[in-house]
Amino acid sequence: MYRYDEFDHQMVRARVDQFRDQVERRLSGELSEDAFKPLRLMNGVYLQLHAYMLRVAIPYGTLSSRQMRKLASIARDYDRGYGHFTTRQNIQYNWPALERMPDLLEELADVEMHAIQTSGNCIRNVTADHYAGAIADEIEDPRIISEIIRQWSTFHPEFSFLPRKFKIAVTGHANDRAAIRFHDIGIVVRKNAAGEVGYEVHVGGGLGRTPFIAKKIAEFVPAQKLLAYLEAIMRVYNRLGRRDNAYKARIKILVHEIGAEEMQARVETEFARIDGKGNYDLPVGELERIRAYFRDPDFLELPSDSETLSQALAQDPDFAAWFKNNVVAHKKSGYGIVNISLKPIGGIPGDASDRQMDTIADIAQAYSFDEIRVTHEQNLVLPHVKLDDLATVYAGLKEADLATANIGKISDQIACPGLDYCNLANARSIPIAQDISNRFAELQRQNDIGELRIKISGCINACGHHHVGHIGILGVDKKGTEFYQITLGGAPDENAAIGDITGPAFTADKIVDAVENIVDTYLELRHSDERFIDTYRRLGMPPFKERLYQDV
Amino acid sequence: MSKLYFNKGQLAEDIWVQVADDAPLQNDTPSIISLSRFKEQAASLAERTGPLGVRIDAGSKQGEDVEEIADRLDQLDLIAIDFPAFRNGRGYSTARILREHLGFSGELRAMGEVLIDQLIFMHRCGFSSYEIDTEQNKSLDSNHFTDAFARFPDAYQPAGDDNRGILWHRGQS
Repeated sequence: MYRYDEFDHQMVRARVDQFRDQVERRLSGELSEDAFKPLRLMNGVYLQLHAYMLRVAIPYGTLSSRQMRKLASIARDYDRGYGHFTTRQNIQYNWPALERMPDLLEELADVEMHAIQTSGNCIRNVTADHYAGAIADEIEDPRIISEIIRQWSTFHPEFSFLPRKFKIAVTGHANDRAAIRFHDIGIVVRKNAAGEVGYEVHVGGGLGRTPFIAKKIAEFVPAQKLLAYLEAIMRVYNRLGRRDNAYKARIKILVHEIGAEEMQARVETEFARIDGKGNYDLPVGELERIRAYFRDPDFLELPSDSETLSQALAQDPDFAAWFKNNVVAHKKSGYGIVNISLKPIGGIPGDASDRQMDTIADIAQAYSFDEIRVTHEQNLVLPHVKLDDLATVYAGLKEADLATANIGKISDQIACPGLDYCNLANARSIPIAQDISNRFAELQRQNDIGELRIKISGCINACGHHHVGHIGILGVDKKGTEFYQITLGGAPDENAAIGDITGPAFTADKIVDAVENIVDTYLELRHSDERFIDTYRRLGMPPFKERLYQDV
Repeated sequence: MSKLYFNKGQLAEDIWVQVADDAPLQNDTPSIISLSRFKEQAASLAERTGPLGVRIDAGSKQGEDVEEIADRLDQLDLIAIDFPAFRNGRGYSTARILREHLGFSGELRAMGEVLIDQLIFMHRCGFSSYEIDTEQNKSLDSNHFTDAFARFPDAYQPAGDDNRGILWHRGQS
């Protein structure tokens, strides 16, 4: 994991001091809420429906046990005993008091964390594959370049007042778990014929009210040139991006309006001007310094079979069910990647209590080389667990109600905070997710349905990623009543697709029946072990639509 | 509107006047005119001996493009970038293009809606002087300016100033 040096510490501390000063001026009345707004937004502080909310950055979703314990103690001491993990691998606290925010940020700084650039029209926290460094066939750990991008984008003098917020995601693997094609910039790590690392660059993807799949504009940018290339993209966007309409201000609209080829040409021209000076090549020494932080931990040489694991699987069917759904093969023999579901049946997706966070920290310290990951699907990961230790880890998780065996299944849903918390929302999301989860609670049934990704947003801003759900649900408000529109066939991965709208929306009391209807249709029509998404791709909308509206 | 003018590290008297498009231009008075007037009259203005500046409006739909006058920059002693709103950051890119691509070395002024907390970013993009509206902040004095520059003495990335940023510093050591 990356560790701060003197300089990193100093930058974060200076920011905390500055914010403390600003909060004092706000509380004394010297600053109005209007004047304070841009200042608090630079520090991740939002004003929500009921209170101020703080969003804490978790760069590329990687946490140490020490950091997780701090997140737990903050939940306990500053909030109501829980935190909410988000689709951008961050954590949000819904109830901290403004006057205590500076102390909270100071505590975060103690463990090399901050809330910088988690809001505002700047380059946001960079996200990456949550299996980075643990999954087989990775080209290179995406966190290396993510950390460099984190530093480069922090307090960037030119790009802190962009037309709109800006999100960058990185994957180092052919299987895209970071939804890079739905980001403002998506980066895929590549190796050329000479074995050198470089980056494929996609631009202009996004969700929201006008979803677009990003366009590839560079096949291979050499590692040392990437920051110059990113500067070129950002500069073209900062100059040409629309500022007259917030809904048309994202880079996806610019790319759509001028076309991918024109965008590519403009970026190439600007890149040539920057690169021509020759002083924007990232020093090899710094690249190597940061790379060294992401070396493999000291794995043991272990056989690929674990006797302990086999015995536990034979003895405990619940453990076996969890192992099947939540544990993924590791690149190193004798190890596994453990997914911790934050989607208990009937629970709030992404929420974790202080006690659960402490438990996870303890387990990670003892059994996962001190590392934890946050996934964009609002779950957590223990990246490096010995197969021999899986049963022990499972027991520990189970005791903290963290052993729900539903990863990738119908109850493993993404949901935005919705009208329960958010002042942009038109409809509630969480209660819908809870109802669906309760309807499909039985694990046997979930396993029979297989992989099915439901994603729920409470408004058109699409924080719940509904466009890329196999089944997407969008809450809308019609004359004061909540309605839910369904889309089918979306996918966030390397086979990126935006879901198709089924037809008229459903009321809150009909939406779960509608989902069940879609699932039943799939179960009838699928070929043997075909996934929902594959059945949909084979048959398209008609059979689903017909069944869904036959009684209407 | 009362304003404070900060140039070369201190509060200063502003010798420049803003001249409207339909107003006559005095020969000796340091004068700032619009980009469109400069484009129209550049040839005849070459005869003028007094200091000349141009105002770039960063607010119109895509902002005025300073590259349109790239080959006439040697006629200008000052370029003022007018920020229509503090959250409109297009002018930061304009500044870097002027300094780093077009080699402009005269006074580069930030005017319009400029916040004291933004000065360090503007400085790093190549601005050399700043006009700040004091209506909102009557207690503003020179200490606020020096504090604003001193709070973040270092940076991660290279920009338009001499600071190459820590990513590059570390790599050299």
